[in-house]
Amino acid sequence: MEFNTRFFQEFADACSKQDGPQLARTLSPDIPTEELREICNSQNAHDIKRVLKRGLQGSAALVGGLGQQEVQGWVEIYTTYWNAARTILVARESSDDRRQSSQSDLVWTKVYAAWTELLNVLLRGYQNNGIEAWTLPCMYVVCKHLRLFAMEADEERNNSSSVDESAAPSLQDDFNPETNKRQKLEDCARVLSRVFTACQSDRAPLEESRKWGSYYLANLLLKTYFKLNSTSLSKNIMNSLFAGGKDMPDLSAFPKSQQVTFKYHQGVLAFLEENYVAAEQHLTDAWNNCHKDAVRNKERILTYLIPCRLIKDHMLPTEKLLAQYPRLQKLFLPICRCIKRGELHNFDLALQEGEDELVKRRIYLTLERGRDLALRNLLRKVFIARGFEEAKEGEKPARRSRVPVTEFAAAISLGSQERIDNDEVECLLANMIYKNHMKGYISRQHGIVVLSKSGAFPGTGV
Amino acid sequence: MMPTWPAAPPSGAQPSNGYTASYSAPAYTTVQVRQSFGQSYSTPQPSYPVAHTYGASHSPSPSAANIAPTVNSSPPAAQEQAKTTKIDWPDSVRRYVQRAFIPANLDASVTRADMEAKLKETITQANENSVMYTLNWDTMPLPQQMILDERARDSLPIHSKAQAPTPGTKKRKSWDLTDTAAPSSTSASPPWRTGPNRLEDRVTFSPDKRHVGDDLPKHNSKFNRADKRQRRNEGEYVTFREDTPPPADGPVVGTSQELEKRYLRLTAAPKPSQVRPPHILRQTLELLKKRWKKDQNYSYICDQFKSMRQDLTVQRVRDDFTVEVYEIHARIALEKGDLGEYNQCQTQLKGLYKLGLNGKPNEFTAYRILYFIHTANRADLSNALVDLTAAEKKDKAVKHALDVRSALALGNYHRFFQLYNETPNMGAYLMDMFVGRERLAALCTICKGYKQDVPLRFITEELYFESDVEAAQFILDHNGQDLLEDRNGTVIVLTGKAGQRFEQARSKAFSRVDIKGQI
Repeated sequence: MEFNTRFFQEFADACSKQDGPQLARTLSPDIPTEELREICNSQNAHDIKRVLKRGLQGSAALVGGLGQQEVQGWVEIYTTYWNAARTILVARESSDDRRQSSQSDLVWTKVYAAWTELLNVLLRGYQNNGIEAWTLPCMYVVCKHLRLFAMEADEERNNSSSVDESAAPSLQDDFNPETNKRQKLEDCARVLSRVFTACQSDRAPLEESRKWGSYYLANLLLKTYFKLNSTSLSKNIMNSLFAGGKDMPDLSAFPKSQQVTFKYHQGVLAFLEENYVAAEQHLTDAWNNCHKDAVRNKERILTYLIPCRLIKDHMLPTEKLLAQYPRLQKLFLPICRCIKRGELHNFDLALQEGEDELVKRRIYLTLERGRDLALRNLLRKVFIARGFEEAKEGEKPARRSRVPVTEFAAAISLGSQERIDNDEVECLLANMIYKNHMKGYISRQHGIVVLSKSGAFPGTGV
Repeated sequence: MMPTWPAAPPSGAQPSNGYTASYSAPAYTTVQVRQSFGQSYSTPQPSYPVAHTYGASHSPSPSAANIAPTVNSSPPAAQEQAKTTKIDWPDSVRRYVQRAFIPANLDASVTRADMEAKLKETITQANENSVMYTLNWDTMPLPQQMILDERARDSLPIHSKAQAPTPGTKKRKSWDLTDTAAPSSTSASPPWRTGPNRLEDRVTFSPDKRHVGDDLPKHNSKFNRADKRQRRNEGEYVTFREDTPPPADGPVVGTSQELEKRYLRLTAAPKPSQVRPPHILRQTLELLKKRWKKDQNYSYICDQFKSMRQDLTVQRVRDDFTVEVYEIHARIALEKGDLGEYNQCQTQLKGLYKLGLNGKPNEFTAYRILYFIHTANRADLSNALVDLTAAEKKDKAVKHALDVRSALALGNYHRFFQLYNETPNMGAYLMDMFVGRERLAALCTICKGYKQDVPLRFITEELYFESDVEAAQFILDHNGQDLLEDRNGTVIVLTGKAGQRFEQARSKAFSRVDIKGQI
């Protein structure tokens, strides 16, 4: 916002109402270019501090309760914001006419640097100038854009032909060309983690503590770590959040949006560690609290919740549920159908078909284990197709429970039309028994499988 | 050991042209699956005690080692010995040595030890360069003269690079000087006392501070050097010779001609005189390959490879040759089960392949996958799968590794042990690491799946044991004494009686594998 009377009024207004989001809007870079230009042109580097100081002191006088230190903090913050705004303006203008000037400098790198400076000044404002915690949304907006600028800067650098040789010379024998690609985002993760710590370690009374910023920053950090493929770092955040004990307000006291995002991340982390019980719980929490219109978010949650349920409870999503999310439908429906129908070979094909996408989302390995269910359903069909023993008088007819291994073998090779060695079939059957998908035993001597008379396939009604 | 003039250059120190001859036999042997537990792998084993070769490698070069004692004794004695042993050592060389020790030629400022060292160096060099017989020893400058010349050169500030070989103490000294001088060059008071309100700053490290912190050493060294220079002008440091320039200006360019070098973790900037340039390293690699084939002395080889890697790193050589060095070291480490070194190499290789260098990326991708299976690291395995391209998935080795993964994921031990039998390259070494636990898992499954009994032969075949005896031993080792029974001449395994007895061993075997340095 242009630094004029209106701005100073707005500032005073937000302060008197302690309206964080309103105040945060004055620090947002996400405004039309025209407005940005006005901000930049409204002042010059020489005068800006003086103007801001006078103006903000005026605002402070209006509100009352705003200390000299605090005002000084805000003067610094808005000065740095103005500097950053100028770099953003340059960046936006140069992106517009990039085609003409092939040799553009790394403008977004400059934006990132300027914006990091803003975050630092802001952080100092909190730590040294006693800026109060109700203004945390300002921190949010600055952190959020820091991450976006970092990604912008990385992309720009990777696209530019000039090779960045600025990497510090090291005597160690470690290097990784990949890290250079994500240089700024990694730096961003470090900066954010510092801000996170600054929130976490605030010992002010809970009502006015920066601890309330913890989950917003945790979420932002987790998001960054996921992007950087370094989920292992997430553990530090989790530990730090849960180590707080009583000092830390319960998650349920935080805004719902933050709860949902956090639960989602927590769930995915558990999922990646194959802790499906915890994963299901967290993801279900996220699902239940998710805003009904946040389709994209619900889709994200389901991406992991569905495989979780499949492995843990042998539950498949209904076609009705999948129909609401075309992307998920494409991903899961073919596989789920094959499992349901016990089409082993088609299951393999469907999995292969979706492999790239599934692997990318880290759900391939989990879904692959759905093959056991497809196999179970196939074997169950064999069992049912064999029908009943001749019923003795007065008794309910029992199913024929002695099945030759060759019959199962025939069923398994039916789909692929490839002969499969009996020993391998036995191996698969032994696995079914071991995993409790099937009750009974193999008699190698006779080449038959003796299935339990009561519930040969637990949980399937047979 | 009787000090003698060597009759011929010992095999370890052949003239350098011997190395340059293209000797490109691989330094590793492709192995078949381990066929039994009792026997060793089919690769050649050291034919004599390891300590022997390792001991020899300590001395800088065998021929030098042989000359040293001779030179150290007084010249007449040396001559006598030479005579008595009737060694074909050129007369010209003997005359040269004699001439050096004539009292009239001695120089008071050159100690006897220095002279002998120089003499040794000169003769060794001549020997190595095969100019022993062609060199005109009569006109050769005497060692004391050479030393004096060198000193004159060294006293000129510009040529101060070549240093007398007292690296440890000297380096130490210069480093210490920097350290002790540091506080005076920084701000007078410690950083946490500079402001009234700085406690929080210190806790959370404000970025500008850290920035200053990063720059500190540089300023320091600059300051110190200026400081030292000033003091030297005042006459305080007259004898102090300037160290090599700081490495930050660019990669080191090595000048060392030694083929072998012990590994030493750097604690200061590397000295060019102790770093081997790439063309020497190539010769080193050929030498090491040969040595590995001959001696199979892992501790020696590992040490040498580490120093090679270090030389490559400090010179920032990242080319196909670098890849080759890391690949060979990785294979050897793999063969010897040194997972720490293996992992270091793998990490480097991953980066090197990304630079688009030539090598065997697929072979090592396959190892990486097998390794993740070994460590049961699902998250990393998942990440590794994401990185695979369609072409890589079709590669024989990678496909094999993926199939192994899939077979294990589905508990298909039948398929798994078939794949174990067909492992390409050196993957079998990796699979050996987890085949035991997979056998346990399979045994658990079989015991639950098959009732009454199965023939031992069946276990042997399914779990790919080399023999029935081995299979039986495996069962016995895991508490299954009463499960084996002889029935009409065939041994059977009473799977029905096994119950939970392998379960504990199984879960123990599957508990997380954690090895330092893994990727």
